Amino acid sequence: MATLNLKRIKKIYPHSGGQKKTKQKGSQEKKTNLQVTEQGVVAVQEFNLDIADKEFIVLVGPSGCGKSTTLRMVAGLEEISEGELYIDGQLMNDVEPKNRDIAMVFQSYALYPHMTVYENMAFPLKLRKMDKDEIARRVKEAAEILDITQYLDRKPKALSGGQRQRVAIGRAIVREPKVLLMDEPLSNLDAKLRNQMRAEIIKLRQKINTTFMYVTHDQTEAMTLGDRIVIMKDGFIQQIGTPQEVFDHPANIFVAGFIGMPQMNFFDAKLECSGGKYTVSVGGCTVELSEEKQKNLTARGAAAQTITLGVRPSHMVLAKQAGNTLSAIVEVNEMMGSEVHFHANANGKDVVVIVPTMNAEGQHIDTFHAGDTLNLTFSGNVCHIFGKDGKNLEF
Amino acid sequence: MKQKSLSAERRRKTVLSVVLSIICIIYVLPVLTVVINSFKLNTFVKTDTFALPTGEMWAGFANFIKGMTFGNYPFMKSVLFSVVITLVSTFLILLCTSMAAWYIVRVNSLFCKILYFLCVFSMVVPFQMVMFTLSKTANTLHLDTPWTIPVVYLGFGAGLAIFMFVGFVKSIPLEIEEAAAIDGCGPLKTYFSVVLPMLKPTIISVAILEIMWVWNDYLLPYLVLDRNKYMTIPIHIQYLKGSYGTVDLGATMALILLSIIPVIVFYLTCQKYIIKGVAAGAVKG
Repeated sequence: MATLNLKRIKKIYPHSGGQKKTKQKGSQEKKTNLQVTEQGVVAVQEFNLDIADKEFIVLVGPSGCGKSTTLRMVAGLEEISEGELYIDGQLMNDVEPKNRDIAMVFQSYALYPHMTVYENMAFPLKLRKMDKDEIARRVKEAAEILDITQYLDRKPKALSGGQRQRVAIGRAIVREPKVLLMDEPLSNLDAKLRNQMRAEIIKLRQKINTTFMYVTHDQTEAMTLGDRIVIMKDGFIQQIGTPQEVFDHPANIFVAGFIGMPQMNFFDAKLECSGGKYTVSVGGCTVELSEEKQKNLTARGAAAQTITLGVRPSHMVLAKQAGNTLSAIVEVNEMMGSEVHFHANANGKDVVVIVPTMNAEGQHIDTFHAGDTLNLTFSGNVCHIFGKDGKNLEF
Repeated sequence: MKQKSLSAERRRKTVLSVVLSIICIIYVLPVLTVVINSFKLNTFVKTDTFALPTGEMWAGFANFIKGMTFGNYPFMKSVLFSVVITLVSTFLILLCTSMAAWYIVRVNSLFCKILYFLCVFSMVVPFQMVMFTLSKTANTLHLDTPWTIPVVYLGFGAGLAIFMFVGFVKSIPLEIEEAAAIDGCGPLKTYFSVVLPMLKPTIISVAILEIMWVWNDYLLPYLVLDRNKYMTIPIHIQYLKGSYGTVDLGATMALILLSIIPVIVFYLTCQKYIIKGVAAGAVKG
């Protein structure tokens, strides 16, 4: 139970030697576009975030974006190069990890292999010289929450991946920490177990009163778990918002492409303004934007220009006949059961369209095959308009 | 065609078995000779070296009793010093080198790399190269008693031990130590509560190798210790040689047999760890 404030946090990994410097630079630049300065590689910069008490914050982004580094700085496992970290209003930059009253769950579980499940969970309490009965009570309580009571006498090697992760979570929650940090805790599990554990974490969150900071590269985890999501790229925060906010109003092309499955469709389009009304034109299709978007664009004084238009696959609609529509040739169709994903080509761009296989009356809708032409349209309400710099023109 | 290749394979295996068996016999023969001759009368040791101790050759345990009571220096005192030196040296080597290896792997600075290189390099320096200077240095620093000679053993044993421990520590995920740091451990607590128990397989391997080496070592204690006061078992055996170079071979063999029994028992009990440990060091180091 604590508030967490990160102010202008920056992390620089210094160059450790001439040869390594070149190597690191090369490899980093290939993977990401991290800034390389005289001091070293800047892994995180300008990180500002205020986390409320009992809030569940998820840091999400591709590999090498700095999300784990940020979490490790909060844990005290990495030094903060610049900026300030406050937990419950107290400056924590130079405080040892053990004195921060935080707990962490690692991707690789990080259980002590020579100790039993009970000893693993009791270890942090023993170090705090807690009474034996109190330790037993807390371990039992946590084990019951996580449904691992029957494994308390086993060693970690005798447990499955999911059970080990439960023990790791158990070890973290027995301490009743102010902040619970989780670094990709579900990444080592198979898809089925991951879904199961995700639901377990949601339940756990309802049972224990603490502030959560969760790192993942899986957007489904981010969307389902987080009160707010922090989307990161190349060491910078791209957007902070609730899952619905970042899905409905992505701040830039990166966020628009990263959040949502399948990925948002992007088109080269034109934003036009005539008679105070904004329209977007792509291919042979011109769509008038919704009132809300009209207002936002007018307020920001957006001029007619070439834009990148983003429309989510689920928002693309099949028109009955050609007209004010965008034509696309089907390349592949993926039957998902309740819906079909059409992968098509429109004006040289790949487009994904999601179409339900059945209508409300339970009748099957005609499907399309490779080579068929789709006439697509979309509403002015679902358009996302990005300028040349990739930023959403409505922001 | 298939049958032909099968029979060729069988022939190859037979030849290999015969060759390996001969090599095994060559290796075991000296030990067998010691066992046989320790039960033989001294006069027959030279004349019928490889004959079994039967009939008039049989000496029973006379050689053992003679060996243990020979001269002015009590054999049990030598055993005591051997035990003390072996145990203290091994304990010191295990404690210091496992800590050093952990430091070398986790800090990984230029200093650590140089330190590791020096340790590994010390393995290839022959003892004969440094033994005379060592003898003088040990006397000057008063490392010439059974209580202080373990420091010298630490120096000579560190190379192999650090090499093996470094290989193992590298395979321990850093996250476990980070979890310990978050759980409330300082560096020492992390080492003793988390790292050391995980090093158990390598500790056993290193312990076995070091115990066998120190227990059997002759040259180092011979050069360093004050032989009038302190003798280890190998030195004691060498002192069975009487005046004018006469040697009671029967008694010598009996004492050699006594001295190798603990090592053989120890080896047989722990041999799976020895093989595992050596392989781990070689592959991961």
